[in-house]
Amino acid sequence: MIKARDIIKSYGNRESRFQVLQGISLEITDGDFVVILGASGSGKSTFLNVLSGLERPDSGKVLYDETDISSLPDDKVTSFRKENVGFIFQQYYLLPNMDVDKNVRMGADLAGNKDYRNIIEAVGLGEKLHKYPGELSGGEQQRVSIARALAKRPRVLFLDEPTGALDERTGRQVLDYICRLKDTYGFTIVMVTHNLNIAEMANTVIRMNSGKIADIYQNKAQKTAYEIGW
Amino acid sequence: MLVGIKNASKLIGISIISCCAVLVCTMFLNFYLDVRSIKNEISSELSMIFYHAQVSTVKVVCLVSGGCLLLTSIVMLMFYIKHYIDTHKKELGILKALGYSNLKIAKSFWIFGSSALIGTAIGFGGAFLLMPRFYALQNKDKMLPEITIHFHPAILLYFVILPTLFFAMLSIGYAWIKLHTPVLLLLRDSLQITSKPPRHKGNRNSGLSFIEELKRNTLKSKKTLVFFIIFASFCFSSMTQMSLSMKDLSSEMMGAMMLIIGLTLAFTTLFLAVTTVIKGNTKTIAMMRVFGYSQKECCRAILGGYRPISYIGFLIGTVYQYALLRITVDLVFKDVEGIPAYRFDVPRMFISLLAFIVIYEILMFAYAGKIKKISVKEIMIE
Ligand SMILES: Nc1ncnc2c1ncn2[C@@H]1O[C@H](COP(=O)(O)OP(=O)(O)OP(=O)(O)O)[C@@H](O)[C@H]1O
Ligand SMILES: [Mg+2]
Repeated sequence: MIKARDIIKSYGNRESRFQVLQGISLEITDGDFVVILGASGSGKSTFLNVLSGLERPDSGKVLYDETDISSLPDDKVTSFRKENVGFIFQQYYLLPNMDVDKNVRMGADLAGNKDYRNIIEAVGLGEKLHKYPGELSGGEQQRVSIARALAKRPRVLFLDEPTGALDERTGRQVLDYICRLKDTYGFTIVMVTHNLNIAEMANTVIRMNSGKIADIYQNKAQKTAYEIGW
Repeated sequence: MLVGIKNASKLIGISIISCCAVLVCTMFLNFYLDVRSIKNEISSELSMIFYHAQVSTVKVVCLVSGGCLLLTSIVMLMFYIKHYIDTHKKELGILKALGYSNLKIAKSFWIFGSSALIGTAIGFGGAFLLMPRFYALQNKDKMLPEITIHFHPAILLYFVILPTLFFAMLSIGYAWIKLHTPVLLLLRDSLQITSKPPRHKGNRNSGLSFIEELKRNTLKSKKTLVFFIIFASFCFSSMTQMSLSMKDLSSEMMGAMMLIIGLTLAFTTLFLAVTTVIKGNTKTIAMMRVFGYSQKECCRAILGGYRPISYIGFLIGTVYQYALLRITVDLVFKDVEGIPAYRFDVPRMFISLLAFIVIYEILMFAYAGKIKKISVKEIMIE
């Protein structure tokens, strides 16, 4: 269970402070599939960063079961992330001087995952094992970043626009693969997306508007990656 | 101006090293030129032997320190320029895309030559400040007639003006060569397409863990840094051991001077190397922290690979100082009776090694703190 309580986060200096998150509270049950929607600049990425322990909120708490990660010291948060969190960033952030294999291995080693190559195959990059990020297209880089997070076998997977650079066919394939892994390992998914159709795959849909939750609802039935529109 | 003074100020390492080189060489060469002018006044045979001993010491010192330091500064300069281009790829790529020619961009790199000017000028000035004491010490037994200090313009030309010009030209030329990269490669943030084609040897090294692979990668991707680390420990080892021997062979002042130069060189190069390693890997470290690698693992991957290399440097330095002293002693004292051949001093080596290990580990501990300060937000900064 993940609980966010009154999360407030602002950026900027004393003269011009800008409150990006204006008191967000939320509960996510284990194994849930949450989709966060919202306009650009509404604070989705920031919320994801706070929720996953990459950033500290100015005030408020982030509780995983009973542990408040927003008050843990840095090294504890780091080892917390090691045990629990997988992250797929909007901008991929691959290591430029490591090939695909090693980039994914970075995640796999943390979980002692020996068959991470299957994941690379599954996202369709088996042929590009020894290519460097600079030699890959945007969508291929995005898939490396997805494989890297999945290889870590996280308890909670955070995805920021994971299909933004993918065409329909690849996008569906990747989403389907993520869902199948979710069914096998039972991890929780928190996904930010601009694609309204993807929301139909989720259990819980959250709509954010200028740093607040504007709307939250449960889907009665979930569609699969091949049933939704694109 | 594309390359500003602020960028050139990062070349303080070159200033420090060229300062050392010019300081030592000016002092000794000036002495050599002045002592040569009084050669005719030497009457006794013993004084003549002493004169020759002095002259050969001067030659060895100038050649060894001057040549060695000059080479280091050249390597350092090229390294800086390459590093500058690597880290400013995007800007340079945009400039080229806008239509700036390579030569036009390269020309602004002349400013890197100013680092040599600052260093050599300070070294030259410093030499003249130290010279009276140095002359007195060299002739403290009054073996030679009175030596007066003269100003030799040739030394100014060869040690200050020409090196500055040379470094400015070298900067422009090297930058010009390095800029011959297609615009697209500069704009993309991939370091390896140009330098090393990925090896398609399949699963050959798949046994290596991510950390081990990163360790290797860090070493391989910047070979110059490996050289610098070797050089730093080489300087430390050879100069500390030599300066300990200097007490018996020459004067304490020579020993102290050597120690200062050796430590300066060692720390400057080590500092340069390690900060570059950390800066170059900031994003990687931040990403590792995001994934949950501990600080210890980050340090091991980024800095751990340099430890064995620094020991190699220490070993080379030990052999080098022994060979050098042995040859010098044989040369300088070959006409003097009763001086035994120079012997390798094991206790001295151990003192130096112990100091080396302690200092190295303290420094690495300090740098580990620096790595700890890297925030996970670093990955998000373009
Ligand atoms: N490090 C930062 N410093 C200052 N302001 C920031 C920082 N990060 C984000 N912001 C601001 O916070 C606001 C929300 O940013 P965020 O990245 O969370 O938006 P988002 O909902 O993810 O948008 P998008 O859909 O475009 O990715 C933006 O207005 C942005 O300018
Ligand atoms: Mg975003």
